[in-house]
Amino acid sequence: MISTNNISKNFGSFEALKQVSFTIERGEIVGFIGRNGAGKTTLMRILTAYYSASSGTVLIDGDDISKNSLEIRRKIGYLPETAPLYLNMTVKDYLNFAAEIREVSAKDRRRQLHRALELCQLENVSHKTIGTLSKGYKQRTGIAQAIIHDPEILILDEPTSGLDPIQNRQLRTLIKGLKDHRTVILSTHILSEVEQIAQRVLMIKAGELIVDKPLDELLNTRSFEQSAGSRKTVTLEHVFEHYHRIRTSGNAA
Amino acid sequence: MSKVICIAKKELSSYFKSPMAYIVLAMMISIFNIFFFLIIDQNREASLGDVFLVMDFMLIFLTPIITMRLFSEEKLTGTMELLMTAPISNTAIVLGKYIGVLTLFSIMIIITFFYYGVVEYFGQPDRLTILFGYVGVWLEGALFLSIGLMASSWTRNQIVAAMMSLSLIFLLYFSANISPHLTGSAETLFESISSLNHLENLVSGSFTVSDISYYFSGILVCLLITRVSIENRQLAGISRK
Repeated sequence: MISTNNISKNFGSFEALKQVSFTIERGEIVGFIGRNGAGKTTLMRILTAYYSASSGTVLIDGDDISKNSLEIRRKIGYLPETAPLYLNMTVKDYLNFAAEIREVSAKDRRRQLHRALELCQLENVSHKTIGTLSKGYKQRTGIAQAIIHDPEILILDEPTSGLDPIQNRQLRTLIKGLKDHRTVILSTHILSEVEQIAQRVLMIKAGELIVDKPLDELLNTRSFEQSAGSRKTVTLEHVFEHYHRIRTSGNAA
Repeated sequence: MSKVICIAKKELSSYFKSPMAYIVLAMMISIFNIFFFLIIDQNREASLGDVFLVMDFMLIFLTPIITMRLFSEEKLTGTMELLMTAPISNTAIVLGKYIGVLTLFSIMIIITFFYYGVVEYFGQPDRLTILFGYVGVWLEGALFLSIGLMASSWTRNQIVAAMMSLSLIFLLYFSANISPHLTGSAETLFESISSLNHLENLVSGSFTVSDISYYFSGILVCLLITRVSIENRQLAGISRK
C-alpha cells in the first residue's frame, strides 16, 4: 500500500506540490493525469525516492520512504519520463546491469532477462547497441529495465512516449498482465490510455490533487449532466475539461 | 560490495566502448615514451625520478579528461535517475565510479612498467626508489581522479567539470610556488597542500606517513564531498529538468 500524507515540494520559492495526500491499495492501477507542469513527474520522483519531499510523509507498506529508502527502492520498478539508457551498451548488457543493481540474484538473472525481453518484444534487438535503436525500441528497453526485477510497484512516467499504436496496445496488455498483486502507477496526458488501463484516476493541477476517484465513478454520466450536456458518453477528456474549468473559475470540485 | 564492483565494471567498460580510452591511453603513453627516452638519453642514469615528475605534470591534464563525464554525463542523459532509484547507496555509487576510473588509470601506469624494464636491463637502478616513485605517481593520480570525480558531481556540463577539476588540481600542484609569496598560516597551508612536495619526497625514495596520509585524506575528503553533493541534489530536487 502506498500512502502519502500532505506532501509538498518546493523548488526555491516555487511550490511544485501542495499538500498532496492519497492512498493506493496493493494491486490497483492508478492513472495520474494533469497538464504539463502540473507536478506529475515531481510526485513520481518523490514516490521513487529520487527527490525528497519538502514536507509530509510517504509510506510504502508502512515504511517511511525518508527512513527506509533503500528497502523501498527494492520494491519499485521505475520508468522516468525519458528512458534512462546507456546508449553505448547493448540491450542485453544494459538489462543485465539493471538486474544486477536491482539485486536480481545471479541464478534468476537469465530467466528474468529472458522474461523482460519477451514481454517487451526485444529479443531480436538484444545484441544491438541501444544508441542505434529506434525511439520505440528505446522506450521498450526502458520499460524492460523497470520490470526486470518483477517489482511489486511499477511507476511509469509517460510510458507510451515514442510507441506506435500497436506497441501502445501491447504495453496496455503488458500492464494489465502485471496486475496480479502488482501496483501500477502511470502518468500520462493521453487520457484515452488512462481510460483503457486505470481503475482509479488522480488529477493534479498546479501541484494540487483535485480529483481522486475510481474511473467508473468519474465516467458516470449522471454526475456530469450539467457539463456533459446532451452527450450520451462521457470520456475522461470531458471529465478533465470539466474539473479544469471549475477549478479555474474558483469553484470546488 | 557487489554493486560497487558492478558500477566499477560498467564505468570501465564504457571507457573501452568509446574511442576515448584508446585515444587517451595512446596519447599519454606516446608522450611518456618521448620524455622517457629524452630524459634517459640526457641524464645517462638508471633512474626514473625525472620521468615520474613529467608523468605527474601530465596527470594535471589527463585526469580532468577521464573524469569529466563520470557524473555529468549521467545527469545530462537522465541515467542518474536509474542509479538513484535503484537500491544502491550513494556511497556505493561514488565508490563504484571511483574504482572504475582508478582501474583505467592503473592500467596506464602498469603499461609504463616497461620503463623499469629498460633501466633494469641497461643499468643497476635503485629498485626501492623506483617502487616508491611508482607508488607516488599512482597516489597523485588517485588524488587528482577524486578531484575530477568531485567536480563532475557539481555540474551536468562535461567541459565545465573538466575546467573546475583542472583549476583545483592546478592550485594543488602549484601551491608550493604560491606559498613563498604568502606569510604566516597561509604560507604554511599552501606549503602543506602542495601535491608536488609530497610526490618529490616519494620519488626521492623517502616514504613517510605524512605523505601517504596526505594522499589518503585528500582522496577521502573528495569522495565524501562527492557523496554529499549528490545527496544534496536529491534533497533539493535538482535534476536535468
